[in-house]
Amino acid sequence: MSAQALTPHPAHFENQNELNDRAAIDASCARPVMWFLASSVVWLLVGTVLAMLASYKMHSPGFLDQWAWLTFGRVRPAHLNAVTYGWASMAGIGVVLWMQARLSRVQLAFPRVLTATAVLWNIVVAIGIGGILAGWHTSVEWIEFSLPVALALAVLFSVFALISFYTFARRQTTHVYVTQWYMFGAILWFPYLYLIANVMIHLGQARGVAQASTNWWFAHNVLGLWLTPIGVGAAYYLIPKVIGRPIHSYYLSILGFWSLALFYNWAGTHHLIGGPLPAWLVSVGIVGSMMMFIPVITVAINHHLTMRGHFHMLRTSPTLRFVVAGAMTYTAVSAQGSLMSLRSLNEVTHFTHYTIAHSHLGVYGFFTMIMFGSCYYIMPRLTGIEWSSARLIRIHFWSVLVGMALYWIGLTWGGVRQGFMLNDPAVPFLDVVRYTLPYLWSRSVAGALMTLGHVAFAVLVARMLLAWRRRHADAEWEPEPEPAARPARAEAGA
Amino acid sequence: MTATFLMILGGVVLIAATTIFGLAWAVRRGQFGDLRRGARSIFDEDEPIGRPTDRFPGDPS
Amino acid sequence: MNRTLLIYIGIIATVIISSVGLVFVPDAQLFALEPVRLESGEQRPLAPAGAIAMGREVYMDLGCIYCHSQQVRPEGFGSDLERGWGSRRSVPRDYIHDRPHLLGTMRTGPDLHNIGLRQPSEDWHYRHFYEPTLTSPGSTMPPHRFLFRRVRIEPGAQPPLDAIEMPEGYLAANEYLVPTDRARHLVAYLLNLNFSYDEPETR
Repeated sequence: MSAQALTPHPAHFENQNELNDRAAIDASCARPVMWFLASSVVWLLVGTVLAMLASYKMHSPGFLDQWAWLTFGRVRPAHLNAVTYGWASMAGIGVVLWMQARLSRVQLAFPRVLTATAVLWNIVVAIGIGGILAGWHTSVEWIEFSLPVALALAVLFSVFALISFYTFARRQTTHVYVTQWYMFGAILWFPYLYLIANVMIHLGQARGVAQASTNWWFAHNVLGLWLTPIGVGAAYYLIPKVIGRPIHSYYLSILGFWSLALFYNWAGTHHLIGGPLPAWLVSVGIVGSMMMFIPVITVAINHHLTMRGHFHMLRTSPTLRFVVAGAMTYTAVSAQGSLMSLRSLNEVTHFTHYTIAHSHLGVYGFFTMIMFGSCYYIMPRLTGIEWSSARLIRIHFWSVLVGMALYWIGLTWGGVRQGFMLNDPAVPFLDVVRYTLPYLWSRSVAGALMTLGHVAFAVLVARMLLAWRRRHADAEWEPEPEPAARPARAEAGA
Repeated sequence: MTATFLMILGGVVLIAATTIFGLAWAVRRGQFGDLRRGARSIFDEDEPIGRPTDRFPGDPS
Repeated sequence: MNRTLLIYIGIIATVIISSVGLVFVPDAQLFALEPVRLESGEQRPLAPAGAIAMGREVYMDLGCIYCHSQQVRPEGFGSDLERGWGSRRSVPRDYIHDRPHLLGTMRTGPDLHNIGLRQPSEDWHYRHFYEPTLTSPGSTMPPHRFLFRRVRIEPGAQPPLDAIEMPEGYLAANEYLVPTDRARHLVAYLLNLNFSYDEPETR
């Protein structure tokens, strides 16, 4: 598709203003967004170490078993919270901030406050993770952080949310792009969910099964109303931007957003099928889960038709590789999720490793891959530094792709068989345990591959940060550049 | 238990309400008017339609 | 556009009205859940207290929920009952004192809702926590040796009263294994997990 100017070709001066605007917007985002993104990469590494520990302990329980603070029951929730509130949330916040600024065509408001928020977020999460390892946690899945930690996080989140809205309020555009709808959804819904869930867990009268339904209403909505909108929204911006072609059907993208907004938050109780909950509550969860086919299919059709004829660009763009891999996985994992809520399937897969394969396909195969792609696009534009090694990028991509595939295949196959065996009372429980061992080993192998990818990525980010700092130091000795000569972005990654 | 269910219900209703509000706002502001313009709004003279904006480091543009 | 807006509002209103209807109608039954009174006059479930309550805290801080569930699925859905994991399915009333709930979502290890019925021996639990393969060959449960103390006594002196009987090869000549308070409480909690009493909802 050749370039089509919608207006007569502008004068050089107007072109320059556009350039300045974008450069100025990126410059205003640089420190706060890099703080969030770089911190998220550190948490990715922490979460990866905890993940490898947990995975290894599952098939070799005698490993490092001397201390209570490294017992599997604490390492596993430490891993989950590190990757959710450390990696995923901080990367998500960084991406949201940059995209809001870019799409509103206005500089990010209060960048220093946002930088402070990032620093404090790191401290709070560190305290939370340390607390979990020390046994100071709620023992409620996805909401393990003790009350002071959770409250601190809620406050920091509110600061981020308010500044995002303020930035949007100062927008220079009339149109609100679909990505912004998704980001607003995420920003609006998550703090409300987080607050309610923590109030119910820590302060409310909720006990027993009522609390269980709150638990899983929240936990599922972390995926559906926080991570998913950020991931899908980012893909809606990055795919067209990278290939240079607008979204195929803007109408479908809007339909997809609103149907997600309507249906996703009903799906949570599908985690409790067969459990001691009122049947209607579980049924509502199943219906909500099935209705999710609508937004998921619209996203899939839209991305595919946008990409059609441009798949060859997967060879030339790192961002596109990660984002398209993530977007395709979104379709797959959502379809899988909807099917898993059907009772006949759930009877087999509930309580098994199959569920773990599914959740990782979602948070990692979908969301994390899109965050990787986003980082590859955003970071060079903020720092003006190009990525130092195409080879490391390729190592990163293939390690995590193959790793995730192996992870999913191993635990899905093993999990289904595990489920059938568990449902056969003639099979002794310990036989089932023994059966799953090779699959648990395969997950450790997969994890080792993913770790390799993360290390490659961390090296790339570290090199970029060092080069950025060096350039800053050098720049102090240079005169302030003229606006006309401004593009500090490297010509490659622009 | 009552408090829990009311809070969840309240939460869901509030989410639904903000959804309706956002939808109504969008419709009133004519956000759904020109969908083609919306899709093209992320492009401009500097990064026009038809020009890819990402590649591997070291690759020729 | 006005018509479209009305349609959207209509869809959303339907969803809200149906949910309100679904919520308030059956909830009247759930809101007033009280313990059930057995023929003997006792109430079930009992609110945990003392060692049992403290043991529940240990269960929580060690993260047992990440491998163990505490819910018995009904007849015809899975084979929980046939496995002997309970004499009846779990009902909401079983959990009215649970704060927080410990339903769990993984069965890396077996369901524990009725473990007190299935494994009523204290010593079995102590041995299992110290070295799970002692009682369960092939188990992948992590050892919890940090819940115990090794006590060395003078030759000829009385062994500690709460010493755990261990097989050959685990302890030295005058060494005895003694549970810490945390271990004691945890086991008390587990032994109390027994919901085999009759329940009106399951008749």
